[in-house]
Amino acid sequence: MFMKRQLPIAIAATIGFLTLFGWFVEEPSIKSFVDDDATQWFDILASFAMFLGALNLLKMQAMKVIRQSRGWQYAALAIAGFSFSFIAGFVMLGAYNVEVTEFGGSTGVATVLANEINQDLQSTRNILSAVPAGDAYIIDSPYFTEGGAESVVEQIVAAGGTAEIHPAEWGAHIATRGSLFNWMFRFIFTPLSATMFALLAFFVASASYRAFKIRNFEATLLLISGIIIMLGRVPIGGHISAWFIMYIVVLSLVAGVNTWLKNRTYTLVALVVGLLGVTIAGFITGWPVDQPSIFFLPVLQDWIYNNPNVAGARAIMIGIGLGIFASSIRYILGIEKSYIGE
Amino acid sequence: MKDKQFWSVAGIIFVLFMIYWVAGHPFFVAERAVMFWAIMIVSGILIYSTRMAKRGEEIFLRSIPGLKAVEEAVGRSTEMGKPVLYVPGIMDMDQVETVAGVVVLGHVAKMTARYETSLNVPVSRAIVMKAARESCRESYLIEGRPDLFHDDMVHYLTDDQFAYAAGVNGIMIREEPAACLYMGKFYAESLLLAETGNSIGAIQIAGTASPSQIPFFVTACDYTLIGEEFFAASAYLSQEPELIGGVKGQDYLKILAISVILLGTLFNYFHELNLISWDLLGFLTVQ
Repeated sequence: MFMKRQLPIAIAATIGFLTLFGWFVEEPSIKSFVDDDATQWFDILASFAMFLGALNLLKMQAMKVIRQSRGWQYAALAIAGFSFSFIAGFVMLGAYNVEVTEFGGSTGVATVLANEINQDLQSTRNILSAVPAGDAYIIDSPYFTEGGAESVVEQIVAAGGTAEIHPAEWGAHIATRGSLFNWMFRFIFTPLSATMFALLAFFVASASYRAFKIRNFEATLLLISGIIIMLGRVPIGGHISAWFIMYIVVLSLVAGVNTWLKNRTYTLVALVVGLLGVTIAGFITGWPVDQPSIFFLPVLQDWIYNNPNVAGARAIMIGIGLGIFASSIRYILGIEKSYIGE
Repeated sequence: MKDKQFWSVAGIIFVLFMIYWVAGHPFFVAERAVMFWAIMIVSGILIYSTRMAKRGEEIFLRSIPGLKAVEEAVGRSTEMGKPVLYVPGIMDMDQVETVAGVVVLGHVAKMTARYETSLNVPVSRAIVMKAARESCRESYLIEGRPDLFHDDMVHYLTDDQFAYAAGVNGIMIREEPAACLYMGKFYAESLLLAETGNSIGAIQIAGTASPSQIPFFVTACDYTLIGEEFFAASAYLSQEPELIGGVKGQDYLKILAISVILLGTLFNYFHELNLISWDLLGFLTVQ
C-alpha cells in the first residue's frame, strides 16, 4: 500500500514543491534541476514507456487479425507499417553514399555517373568539371543497400576511376535525405498527415454550417459576428460602404420594432424615420465609404475582434489559469488522489 | 490535522520566513517576491476553503450540464448496448489537463463498471496508458467489478497527432460508440474527432482548457466543459468535500482577481494622470 499510495504522493509533492519554489531560488543546482534535469527525467521515463506502448499496439492489432475482428485488414496494415518503420529505422541503414574520389578525364566514369544521376553525358561532364581540383564528387542520392553502392563503385573502378562508400551514421540516417526511413517519412507519413490535416477544411465547413444556423438569439449573434469578421478581413469588405451597413442596421432595428410592438403604424414610422435619417446624413456628409467608421466593416471587425472577443477570451483564460493552479496545488498537497486511482 | 495544529504550523512557517527575509533573504530572487506572495495567498485561500469544506460547511456547487450529462451518456450507451469512447487528449502526463482527463476517466470508469458497459480508451502516450489503466483498474475494483476490467480497454495508438486522430476516427466508424467523451489537452485534431463523433450520432461531451479548441468542441459536441469547469469535474463527480472546497476557493480567487483588475485599472488611470506616483502595474508585472 505504501508503494502504491504514499510513495507516489510523496514524490509528486517533493518534485512539485521543488519545481514551484525553485523559480524563486537563486541556486544554480536547483535551477538546473528545474529547467533541465526534471524534464530530462521525464523524457527518459517516456522513452522506456514507449516500449510498453509499442508492444501494446502490436498485441492489440495482432489480436484483431487473429480473431478476424471487424476491420482486421486495417490492423494487418498497421502491423505491416510498424514492421516496415522498425526495419527502416533499426535494421536497414538504407543510406550508403558513394564518393567518387578520382574521375580525371575518363569518359567511362562520366558514363557510369550519367546513368546514376539521370543526366546526359555532356551535363555529367559539366558537373564533374565544376568540381574543384582535389575534391571528391558525391552522388546526390544515397543507395538503399550496400550491394547497390558496391556495384556502382565496381563500375567506376572498372571505368578507370576510384570511389569509396560512406554509410550514414546510425541514428543520423533517419534524417539523411535519401535513406529508407527518410523516404518513408517524406513520401508516406507526411502526405498522410497532411491529408488528415486537410480534412479540417471540410469539417470546419460542416461545423460552421451547424453553428451558424439561426436557432436562437445567441446563434444569430454568432452568425452576424461571423459574417462581419469574415467580410471585414477580406479586400471586398473595404469596398462595402458604411452607409450600406447602416441601412441594414436600420432595417434590422425596424424588424425588431415590429416584433416587439406588433403595430404596422409604428413599424412604418420607424422605417421612414430610419431611412430618411440615414439618407439625409449621407447627403450632408457626401457618402464617404469609410464613415461613420463604426459601420465600416474592417473597423467593425477589428473592434469585435479586439474588444468583446478578447474580453471573453481573457475571462476564460483567467478561469483556466485558476483551475490549473488549484488542480496543481491539490495534486501537490495530496488532496486530489484520483490520478493514482484512489 | 486539527485547526490549532494547522494554524500553529502556518504561523511558524510565516515567522521563519520573515526572519529569513529580514536576515537578507540569501538565494531568494527578490524581484519575484510579488509572485511568491501571490502564490502564497492563492494557496492559502485554497487550503482554507478545503479545510472549511472538510469541517462540514455547506457548499453550493452550481449544476454543470456537461457533467450531469456524463452519467446520462453512459446510461445511453448501456441501453443501446454500445461502448463508451473516452479520449484523454493527445499530450503527456506533464500537462495538468491530461492529469485532469485521467482523473475524470476514473469517475467515468466507475459508471461503466456500475452499468456493465464497455469502455474504450485509446491513448496517444505510453505513460498516459499506464496511468489511465491504473485509474480504470481501481475504479472497477471500487465498484466491485474487477471481472469486467481488462488491460486492453486502455490501449496505445500512436504519439503522432494526426495518426492518432485517424486511429480514433477509425474506431468511431467501426465500433460506433454511443457516447464519445473528450477530456484533456487537444490541438487541431479536436474538430476531426468531434465531427466524426457527430456523424455517427454519438452523444458527445468535451472538456478542455485549450482556448483555441473550445469553439470547435462547442460547435460539434452536445456538451462542453469550458476551462475551469473541466478542472472542477473531479470535485463535481466525486462530491468529496475537500475537492468541492477547492472549487469554492477558486470562486474566492476570482473575486480577488476581479478586484485586482478593477483596482489596477483605477490606479493606472490615476498614475497616468500623475495623481499618484506609484506604478501598480509595474509592481505587479512578473519579472
